[in-house]
Amino acid sequence: MAHAHDSSQERPAILDKVRPAELPRAKLILNDRSFHWITDKVCAIVEEPTPTWWKVLFVAALFIASFTFVGMAYLVSTGTGTWGLRSPVGWGWAIVNFVFWVGIGHAGTLISAILCLLRQKWRTSINRAAEAMTIFAVMCAGLFPLFHVGRVWFAWWLFPIPNQNGIWPQFRSPLEWDVFAVSTYFTVSTLFWYMGMIPDLGAIRDRAKTWWRKAFYSLLAMGWRGGNRQWSNFEMAYLLLAGLSTPLVLSVHTIVSFDFAVSNVPGWHTTIFPPYFVAGAIFSGFAMVLTLMLPLRAIYRLHDVINQYHIDNMCKIILATGSMVGYAYATEFFIAAYSGNAYEKFAFINRAFGQYSWAYWIMVSCNVITPQLFWFKKVRENHSLVWIICLFVNVGMWFERFVITVTSLANDYLPSSWGYYSPTIVDIFTFFGTFGFFSVLFLLFIRFLPLLPMAELKIVSPQADPHAH
Amino acid sequence: MSKKVFEHPVAQAGETTGPSYWRSLEERNKTPEFRTRAEREFVEGASAISTVERREFLMLMGASFGLAGLGLAGCREPRNHTLPYAKQPENTIPGVPTFYATSFPGESANQPLLVETHQHRPTKVEGNPSHAANGTASSKFAQASILDLYDPDRAQASYGANGAQLSVAEVRDLLRALAASAQSNAGTGLAFLARPSSSPTRARLVAAIQAAYPKARWVEYTPVSQHNATRALGAQVLPDYAKARRVLSLDRDFLGAHDGTVEDTRAYSAARRADSADQAEKMTRLYVVESTFTLTGGAADHRLRASTSHISSLAALFAAEVLTQSGHASEGAALKAKVSGVQVDERWVKECVADLVQAKGEALIVAGDHLTDDAHRAVFLANQALGAAVRYVSAPSLSALSISYLATKPIETLVILGGNPAYDGPADINFSSAVKSAKSVVRLGYHGAAFDETSSWVKSVGGTVIASSHYLESWSDGLTVDGTYVPVQPMIDPLFPTFSELEVLAPFAGLTKEPFALVRETFNALAKDNSDHAFAAWLAEGVLADSGYAATTLRVTASEIKAFKAPVLSFDALEVRILPSVHAGDGLYANNGWLAEAPDPMSKTCWENVILISPKLAAKLDVEPEPMLINKIGQMNRNINLTVAGRLLCRVAKVTVDGVTIQGPVFIMPGMADYTLGLQLGFGRTVAGRVATRVDERLAGRVTGNGFSVYPLVASLAASAYRPGARLELTAATVPVCNMQDHWSMEGRDIVREGNAEDLRENANFAKLGIDGHAPAVYGKDGTMSPGQKAITTPRGNSAYEHPDHSVAPNVAVWKGHESEFLPLQQWGMSIDLNTCTGCNACVTACQSENNIPVVGRDQVLKGRNMQWIRLDRYFFDGRDNAGMAIPEDPQVTFMGVACQHCETAPCETVCPANATVHDDQGLNTMAYNRCIGTRYCANNCPYKVRRFNFLDYNKREAGHYYEGPLGPAKLPKDPADLPQLQKNPDVTVRMRGVMEKCTYCVQRIQEAKIHAKVRAKNSADIKVADGTLQVACQQACPAGAIEFGDITDPNSRVSKAKASTRSYGALTYLNTRPRTTYQAKLRNLNPKMPGANRVPLSRKEMAGREGHAAPHGAVHAEVHGAAETHGSEHPSK
Repeated sequence: MAHAHDSSQERPAILDKVRPAELPRAKLILNDRSFHWITDKVCAIVEEPTPTWWKVLFVAALFIASFTFVGMAYLVSTGTGTWGLRSPVGWGWAIVNFVFWVGIGHAGTLISAILCLLRQKWRTSINRAAEAMTIFAVMCAGLFPLFHVGRVWFAWWLFPIPNQNGIWPQFRSPLEWDVFAVSTYFTVSTLFWYMGMIPDLGAIRDRAKTWWRKAFYSLLAMGWRGGNRQWSNFEMAYLLLAGLSTPLVLSVHTIVSFDFAVSNVPGWHTTIFPPYFVAGAIFSGFAMVLTLMLPLRAIYRLHDVINQYHIDNMCKIILATGSMVGYAYATEFFIAAYSGNAYEKFAFINRAFGQYSWAYWIMVSCNVITPQLFWFKKVRENHSLVWIICLFVNVGMWFERFVITVTSLANDYLPSSWGYYSPTIVDIFTFFGTFGFFSVLFLLFIRFLPLLPMAELKIVSPQADPHAH
Repeated sequence: MSKKVFEHPVAQAGETTGPSYWRSLEERNKTPEFRTRAEREFVEGASAISTVERREFLMLMGASFGLAGLGLAGCREPRNHTLPYAKQPENTIPGVPTFYATSFPGESANQPLLVETHQHRPTKVEGNPSHAANGTASSKFAQASILDLYDPDRAQASYGANGAQLSVAEVRDLLRALAASAQSNAGTGLAFLARPSSSPTRARLVAAIQAAYPKARWVEYTPVSQHNATRALGAQVLPDYAKARRVLSLDRDFLGAHDGTVEDTRAYSAARRADSADQAEKMTRLYVVESTFTLTGGAADHRLRASTSHISSLAALFAAEVLTQSGHASEGAALKAKVSGVQVDERWVKECVADLVQAKGEALIVAGDHLTDDAHRAVFLANQALGAAVRYVSAPSLSALSISYLATKPIETLVILGGNPAYDGPADINFSSAVKSAKSVVRLGYHGAAFDETSSWVKSVGGTVIASSHYLESWSDGLTVDGTYVPVQPMIDPLFPTFSELEVLAPFAGLTKEPFALVRETFNALAKDNSDHAFAAWLAEGVLADSGYAATTLRVTASEIKAFKAPVLSFDALEVRILPSVHAGDGLYANNGWLAEAPDPMSKTCWENVILISPKLAAKLDVEPEPMLINKIGQMNRNINLTVAGRLLCRVAKVTVDGVTIQGPVFIMPGMADYTLGLQLGFGRTVAGRVATRVDERLAGRVTGNGFSVYPLVASLAASAYRPGARLELTAATVPVCNMQDHWSMEGRDIVREGNAEDLRENANFAKLGIDGHAPAVYGKDGTMSPGQKAITTPRGNSAYEHPDHSVAPNVAVWKGHESEFLPLQQWGMSIDLNTCTGCNACVTACQSENNIPVVGRDQVLKGRNMQWIRLDRYFFDGRDNAGMAIPEDPQVTFMGVACQHCETAPCETVCPANATVHDDQGLNTMAYNRCIGTRYCANNCPYKVRRFNFLDYNKREAGHYYEGPLGPAKLPKDPADLPQLQKNPDVTVRMRGVMEKCTYCVQRIQEAKIHAKVRAKNSADIKVADGTLQVACQQACPAGAIEFGDITDPNSRVSKAKASTRSYGALTYLNTRPRTTYQAKLRNLNPKMPGANRVPLSRKEMAGREGHAAPHGAVHAEVHGAAETHGSEHPSK
């Protein structure tokens, strides 16, 4: 991380001799924007009168979200049979959606925690929104495993609550691990997100004009005054939470992958699943971040803060993780062939050429082929194209989970029991509704909370480091 | 569980029972002081307030009201009234079932049964072991008949001419009036139409009626006659399959469809048991000539596809060959000369007959009942020449008149007893117009005018519909296949004011006696000892010892056999083969949900019927399914029928015979004769109950039966089984057809294993092959342990987990300090013999009956959500080397019963987050329904796919209302739809939606047996359940005796012996599931001289080809350490 302009005080003599080329670091904030500009820009988003587009979108999102809740009410009152599940496919769209949303929920914490520890300063422009996305995605994800059970009113039995019968949950079950993994991840992510927002909430509070705004943000800011001692504590806590979150980023999707890998279903029982799932999660998470940030950048004219450098970085991560996922697909085939196990071999041949081959090829083309376009700078600079590719990645990653979950179950050991799963309208609407639910939460976030981390942006802006110039 | 004589104790007046106790001398002496005291409600002075002041009183009352007002008054338990028996009825112990003997009435024979009743409510049908020929086995029809008793659509009252409800007395008056009016003219114009029955009492009444009214006519009709051979030969044919070593069946489905199937299957399977090479060589070899693929064809070692209309000719050819080869050359030649127009592989006939002749005295030829009279005569001659294992007995005389009589003679009064002639009458007799002339029609029907074609028609012509009793509500009697006299005794008072056949006939016979008295009279006449004691013993045992048909001798000469001419068949002149369906029979069982949902063993369709066509015809019509990519690259066999999104889609076609057309979905069926169309009777009802009607139609207020009716093609009695000259035309339409298994091929997986005597001789362990032989040894160094030891100690093998050791006392407080007294518990296990299983479905229905498994309906089965705990997987093999596009034309078939395997290291248990499925210390993989939250992870992780999920409220709501949730109508107690709830086994939980379920090894029966064993043991430590005293429901019902269940730690138990068989193997054991249910490999008994014998595949051949090992490893490293490592090569052709 040597910086060309750093430590000009003690410039080694050798540098004059070799005269290295001047390679300026990419600017994180363009046009030499001042601290004041940043504050104004971010606070204006929550301070301006509610824009019409927001109202329209909010109502639309609420309407779409209602699909999920109506669907789930029907499900709970009538039975799991309202979904398309059948023997032998006991898990369908619900689990697919769960893994899909949890996967999306990976980018936020990865950006805020791992990139923080790795001192990737470019993360500051996107981390707040990405973290919000994470939390809302995990909320959407959590609905599915909860409601996919046959008797949701007894789902609390999954918690190890001491009881007079001495019955505990089955701690050997990956689903039980899921309960802990996802709830821990959600808690820590929320804490991390909220804590990071406190200085910004203090700034909004200080600018508030009406008493209720003042009251609301005062409460959220928790008495933030911006003193040195507070900053020192804040930085330490932030670092600790980043350290705490880092293993969680890896563990959550690892454990989600155990839902499959620990079973004995051909196509599920694979040791590659943990890294492959984590790579896939980061892949889909970054795609979702871009999907959300590109329109926001356009709407709020954040081009100076979220610039081509950020977009390039994210595209490259998508390219890298997409290739990892593609490599994993190939590895699965190799291992199946190498194992000599007829059941394993069949499972993978069947994925590619069997009754669900359409899903498999959608997955491969969206996840492996499409991101390869990011090798080209022209593509990365064409933001409409970037946005479209990210949509493809999202679709592809949903299909990846579909392919894994459904094809393996539909054709497993005994050919007599083979079947075919297709969703019902209730499945489809319930899933569709979660996009509404997610949007409702995200719109509320845009409207009422600082979209960008002002304080952190200022830290990485050139003005924060006067010695550099 | 012994059978009890049902006798209510009669209390005598003034009788005192048992000792009297008294509290005081005053009570004993009954002094007046004591009486006054006893009669007072409170002690003296109790009502006088003595010391309480007014203020105090008000204070107390105020406090009481205050407390009452605090809501405590609302916490009242629901009020229940329990009335103890003032006097305990004999043989009734609450909670303990009572078993009574009865029999299931068939058309030619009754099936002896024991019926389980709970507090006088029949719940389960079982075979009567007192009748050795069928033991505890019973057919699925008998099993399912109990559901008919509680059919919500059954006629619940009788209705007269003007639609008015008739009381019991009014019906009796009506019958007496009819009898009286017939008296005046000797019964002119009086006709009875009944289904055939074996009941001697009914025969006696019929004789009495015919004596009393000489001009009255008694007509018997059934669309699928089982008496043709008897009519042709003048005697009943009783083949002895247990004795026969070579059997040739000419289109006779003796393992599948007729009244004696249970007995025949039992006898045949007994002769098919073999464990060593020597035994395998001696076991019965079965040759089958047939047109459709029946269960008998499935069991065949050599099967010849031939059109049914050619089989009579073939019968003559076979008979001629037998005569020729057994030294009657001239007679043989003469018979052969009479046959023309039939083409057959001469070598097949020659070699098959040579094999029969070589086994003289132990060979047997049986012929389908529908073959021509001359064919039966020819077969008789052949059997004579072979000295065949067959008896000819004089059966009761059959009704001389057929239903066509009704069309020819004017009828004034028609009494229709049972049946459904308006639906199943032959097409050439338009039943309803034929009897239009009848002035009065009386119909005894099990279903009323709303749910039955005949009752509906009777109502429309102003007749009387009398509600019929179920056989479990009536007194009657019958004869088994071999003529043993068996009772039909009621288990319960009629649920509704209904009448039995005998009750309707008695007034005409001039008798006022109740059926019970009539049966007693018959018994007195038939039994040598007719004392009350003997009668009670007959009812208790359910069979009359030493009764049976008398042998008779037949005289048939070759000269009376006329010429055979087989019709010419082609794709333009096909043949229809009409069979009763395995679901609805000929329509009699159409409203039975268990039968409707028990899949056809061969096509695996249920809830409806299809037109079965041969793959060749399918290729001609171009209706084969589109191949997928995976078929094209040869990695998976193409489906036989088109399956789209998990649904079987069939093209609709029209079948036209002599200008009559019916329409139905076309189903490609391997093994069909090329020019034969298979059609099943019993569907397409136009007036029917809720099961026989399509749910969506019923909800829309219409009646459209499931499937289509084949009766328009049943032109006459003579052509009720097959007709040539049919044309098949495809329509543009495609419909989904309900089925339970999409894929036919095992795809080279080592699931079902087959071999023959040759394999056994070369390598007795041939069954242990495939991936199991290459996987790491799951038992490690403990591979040599006996199954019992393995079950008790569950050695860890290579597993990381601690496995329970059942040989030491559990680590719980009660055993502390008493560890040395601990005796290892019994360990339950099951073995299923694939060699004897015929795929008859009796286990499926018995399990459904025993375990309160709901019927989910056609719509849910289409969605893949059937709930049956045991399923019969059906796989075809045709010996191909590679997977591909061809549809097997002439395959072999294997059935495999799969229920929960009760794995010792069950994959389902570790993945359940709620701990709802756990292992017990006797090796059962148990389900705690109450703890289940329904994640379905267990079902996903079960490699055998035996777990069933309650996706919807199948028990609480009726089909058609599943998706309405709480807004839909519930099955309320008063709703007639709730009637089937009475069938539920009180020992088994009824599961709600959202709960997983599966085979429990009939845990309720195990518990019952354990309780019995403990009661018997008294103070001794011997609390083990003795082998044979405990039978699980599927095992009990299995006519083939293919299922063994018991304690696997006892090396002498039958299940241990079965597991010790060299043929024993576990399915998918390489997964280290250690299943408690294991299988015994199927054995084929090929005749190497037969043409095509070298093409006949064993499932192993396919396996070896697909797993990349040309020759399966003989001994398995994993399981049989120490066994010689020999490589058994493939010898399917030997």
